[in-house]
Amino acid sequence: MGGSVASVAGREPTLEVDFALVGHQESWRAAADVLAVLRGPERTPLPDDEIKDILPWIPPRAVCHVDVGSIVSTKIGGAKARGLYIDSFIPPDRLEAAYVHENIARVRGAAACAIKAGAKIVSLGGFSSILIEGNFDQLPERHDTVFTTGNTLTVGFIVQGIKKMCALEGRDIHRSTLLIVGATGDVGSGCARCLAPIVRRVLLSARNMERLRSLAAELQADGAQVEISADLERFSAEADVVICAASLASPSLLLGRITPHALVCDAGYPKNLSPRAEMLGAKVFFGGLGQITGGLKFAPDFHGILNRHPFPDVVHGCLLEGMALALEGRFEPFSQGRGSITQERVEEIETIAARHGIYLAPLYNADGPVEDRLHCQTEWSRG
Amino acid sequence: MQPLIGLNCSTIECTSLSPSALIWQDVLAQAMTGELVAAMNYTSLSEMCDDPEEIADALEHAEGERGHAAAFAAEGRKIGVDVPNNVDAKHWKRLRDAFMRCITERDFIGCLIVQEIMLESFAVASYARVAKVAPGSLGKTFASIAAEEEEHVDHAMSILRTERALDAQRFDDKVYRLHLDVMTTLAQMLAKECKDGHCEVCHSSCVKPSLSEVSLSAAELRGASLQQYLKTLDLLGIPGEVTLAWVAQLPV
Repeated sequence: MGGSVASVAGREPTLEVDFALVGHQESWRAAADVLAVLRGPERTPLPDDEIKDILPWIPPRAVCHVDVGSIVSTKIGGAKARGLYIDSFIPPDRLEAAYVHENIARVRGAAACAIKAGAKIVSLGGFSSILIEGNFDQLPERHDTVFTTGNTLTVGFIVQGIKKMCALEGRDIHRSTLLIVGATGDVGSGCARCLAPIVRRVLLSARNMERLRSLAAELQADGAQVEISADLERFSAEADVVICAASLASPSLLLGRITPHALVCDAGYPKNLSPRAEMLGAKVFFGGLGQITGGLKFAPDFHGILNRHPFPDVVHGCLLEGMALALEGRFEPFSQGRGSITQERVEEIETIAARHGIYLAPLYNADGPVEDRLHCQTEWSRG
Repeated sequence: MQPLIGLNCSTIECTSLSPSALIWQDVLAQAMTGELVAAMNYTSLSEMCDDPEEIADALEHAEGERGHAAAFAAEGRKIGVDVPNNVDAKHWKRLRDAFMRCITERDFIGCLIVQEIMLESFAVASYARVAKVAPGSLGKTFASIAAEEEEHVDHAMSILRTERALDAQRFDDKVYRLHLDVMTTLAQMLAKECKDGHCEVCHSSCVKPSLSEVSLSAAELRGASLQQYLKTLDLLGIPGEVTLAWVAQLPV
């Protein structure tokens, strides 16, 4: 053990870190799995009560090294980027507004770890991205490190997923009524800008009416037919395509009245929509996920632990954005702030990602894959 | 071994006290024993040093730790309890033995790692938690001693960082070896339940289940201590992913 520890420690001064991924565990089960890997197979896993006692005290820190490969060839093989996964160790039961200050402090701590490690670009994953998109000024002094929320590529994969699902289901997206829940957030508004020009009608729902009005005016100026409401129930029976860009505290507000056979993209965080009997045939799928085809390695090996998806090398779009930019050698804060994601920027990051073999992930939901895996990879992912 | 500061360990005077006084008695007993072990460690360190400045420094630290022990004893008297101590209690003896192995090897850096990084992390964090909930002067004493202990750590950090800069891998290996020895014992001490019998410091049964009565918990004291330890290792420059695995592998 001493030898292996020494060898890991010894890597520190020699390894250049291109990117860092800041994340956290979505569930206690996931946290338990991470700790089990760290404890090693020779030690018994920690009991659940001990994990709940210990995890909140762990300061933000790197958990593992991450190498991502590109499909772009160089003289010495495929291009690669090296990174770190840094966990903010936000306890899974504190992923909510009541803990916002504590959680921002944790993300700040994780950001400081990334800066200390010399990461050139940092992607803020999951809840970290949501916390920071309106609070970039709260990140520590940056030196040579840039931060991106990764929201632009997330939007790209959500939009690709919607188009793909419509095609798989034989729907004409141009005749759809699109409902976006959480429409005024960075991801929600980005989806609205990308899809409003191609759907028949757009329904925007969010809590802040002022921001809703502003977004609606912007979309209407470009010719879109837009309606807004802070009352989700008003719209839920009217849409046949739904993007949940915000995690729903009460999914029944949407699902209880949803149109039969609606397509529902769960792009919120955490994802909490699952196919249910009362949904009358509505099809739910998780949005915003991409798949790396050039290779993804963790050291220590956290495959299937840090990326818990039913398909290999699937990662949230927000994290993939930093990896794609690192592979491209573009160390810039591609996504920052709220409300600035445009279709042009989405296309730009999609092009960069695809150049390095990062495509839309096969679609799935809490019950598993929602499409034929082979079809997914051949027809759409590489398109 | 008799208590280093001679006190009557019986609780006969305590029968009319509030239940919380008896809980504080045990908390103080652990703190006082820790301070006395630290005083012994610094005294041993002074005997190993050649540099007069280092000798004086170590003796000053030893005197400071004895002062802390006396302050804890005084706080006990204020709430009507005698504060026992037992540096030969099983966990504390193992910690003392680990330190003495460094002395035997004339390993000055090892001594600093054990005392300043590991034992002081535990002291600083647990005293700070106790200070938040302990009433009156008891809380103030824990807070001021926590602050003083933190100064010790700062003093040692510059020496240890210089040492690590010479050969990071060798330094990290040394910390890991000592971690396995010392932190395993501390983790057993800090476990939510004492699974291997009486700790030989608490005056009767284990105090841990009663800590909630004074707004503390064994889990909180352990969590705060491990957090402080990880942060201290971060300041030394040891990679966070390495120290995370070290801590994750400790017994619970």
